[in-house]
Amino acid sequence: MRLPPGVRDWLPQEFAFKQSVEDRIAVVFDRWSYARILTPTFESYESLERGLGEKLMRQTFRFSDPLGEELALRTEMTTPIARVVSTRLRNATLPIRLSYIAPAYRYEEPQLGRMREFTQAGAELIGAAGADADAEALFMAVETLDAVGLADAQFDINDSAIVDGALLSLGLSAAAVRSWKEAIAARNLVDLDGFAARDGVRTERYALLRRLVVTRGTEDVLAMARELAPNPEAQAAIYRLERILARAGALGFGSRIAIDPALLRDLEYYTGFVFEGFLGDLGFSLCGGGRYDALLPRFGYDVPAVGWMVGVERILLALERRRVDERRSREVDVFVVGSDRAAMSERARGRRVRVDVRGLDRNAAIAYARHKSIPRVLIARGEEVEEIHLDADEQTP
Amino acid sequence: MSSLTIALPKGSLYDESAALLGAIGIEIPGDPGRRLTMTSLDGSAELLLLRPTDVPAYVEFGAADCGIVGKDTLWESERSVSEAVDLRFGACRLVVAARRADGYHEGARFPTFLRVATKFKRMATQYFSERDIPCEIIALHGSVELAPIVGLADVIVDLVATGSTLREHDMVVVDEIAASSARFVLNPVAYRSKYARLSALCERLQGRVAP
Repeated sequence: MRLPPGVRDWLPQEFAFKQSVEDRIAVVFDRWSYARILTPTFESYESLERGLGEKLMRQTFRFSDPLGEELALRTEMTTPIARVVSTRLRNATLPIRLSYIAPAYRYEEPQLGRMREFTQAGAELIGAAGADADAEALFMAVETLDAVGLADAQFDINDSAIVDGALLSLGLSAAAVRSWKEAIAARNLVDLDGFAARDGVRTERYALLRRLVVTRGTEDVLAMARELAPNPEAQAAIYRLERILARAGALGFGSRIAIDPALLRDLEYYTGFVFEGFLGDLGFSLCGGGRYDALLPRFGYDVPAVGWMVGVERILLALERRRVDERRSREVDVFVVGSDRAAMSERARGRRVRVDVRGLDRNAAIAYARHKSIPRVLIARGEEVEEIHLDADEQTP
Repeated sequence: MSSLTIALPKGSLYDESAALLGAIGIEIPGDPGRRLTMTSLDGSAELLLLRPTDVPAYVEFGAADCGIVGKDTLWESERSVSEAVDLRFGACRLVVAARRADGYHEGARFPTFLRVATKFKRMATQYFSERDIPCEIIALHGSVELAPIVGLADVIVDLVATGSTLREHDMVVVDEIAASSARFVLNPVAYRSKYARLSALCERLQGRVAP
């Protein structure tokens, strides 16, 4: 029996590794007081569609139930959460903080770091606008990657208002702006140069914009942005980024955060602040997020929101590359032969107990425990229970 | 600091790619022969010698930080890499071509269901569907110009550099679809994590090809 492409089994050791990473993420979510939530794996396509850009729409697994209702597997968790918040949590006091660790599904060419079923962990801060909320999302992501052992992760931040403002000042048509933004998001400078020629943008003006798009930095980028995007929206965004940088600096991870004016992420989804976390030795980003003020209004609830997510499998990939083996070396604490009572009392003490079901004799039980690296063996002898401690040196083969 | 990894295409773009890198200070130690990897003379870059069509995959996954590849390869690959510099060499055009005798270049109408032979399935599909021309794409791997001669296809979609191959087979260009040349491409995350070196490299290349 073969599995369909893009899905995988998690055998016990692999699953334990994944679980240990998810547990660490869950602790961070809990410490930031983000309550965990879970929505159905599938729901009506019509509802999920509201949060989907064109690309995700093409990647959605769709099917219908026997009555012909169109259903779909969730491609991410933010849209279902927006639905829940705008319906069942509508009367809750804002802001609302929710988190999740759950599988999502996308139809795409399976490849390294990209599966059709994958696990996302993320957090949403709904009902709060402004730089403080943006900073919370970013700092939480930093702490999460620290907690899973990727404390060297770098984070690039940006606000799409900067590029919007710079393009606005070039006086381009709406259609042109769209193509320019797509080229900037992909950092496709060959296309961008072509658009500048096509749209007749003055050489000196274009040179400044081009410079902004290829630069990644902190204060220097903000200084360029201030000149190129004089409109109030962009100036406000620059001020917000400046504050976030200052706060990150005060927390001691200023050197891990930079501004990349070309970081735009999903153009159809994000409405302002965006960020992405990545490692020097992995060719794709680990986590990302930003402000999506336009999503909840599509569910009839006009509140702003900011959120972020991290790909759990991508974290595992990064840790595996560094040979950080989080797998537990020992799965069983004690092996019990012939005594239900002893086994129950060991479990009650929180130990992981394996009970013999094959009627092993004393020697076979000890040999088995050695083979499985189990440090203790309890063997019933009438009313008594014999306890055998196996030497740690003998356990490792 | 870890060195940069650059994906280079073996074959027709190789010599000019090596010469260009040499000109900006990344000198490559001679003929690669059958080698898969090399280190630049100054030790600053690791070079991967790849089939041209594999370059986008290596760059997308970050196995290479950057690379050189023809735009024609990017058309078909659907890989997300940043096109940072148009290197100008390896220039060619993707065209629709047919036998001169069929007269399509002089306005003769296509058959109601056009058969198109090509190595560029995506670009050909896009071109004909944008024009609402019903067609069947016949994906081939080489010597596409043979297809109309033996009646396998009505037209071809193929790269033309000088046009001599078409002339040899008494074929003509019906329409031009796009222009291609070699591109310097980047892994978007590598551009961020190795920003200082990659942005400097882009600048030197840009200055070299379009001073």
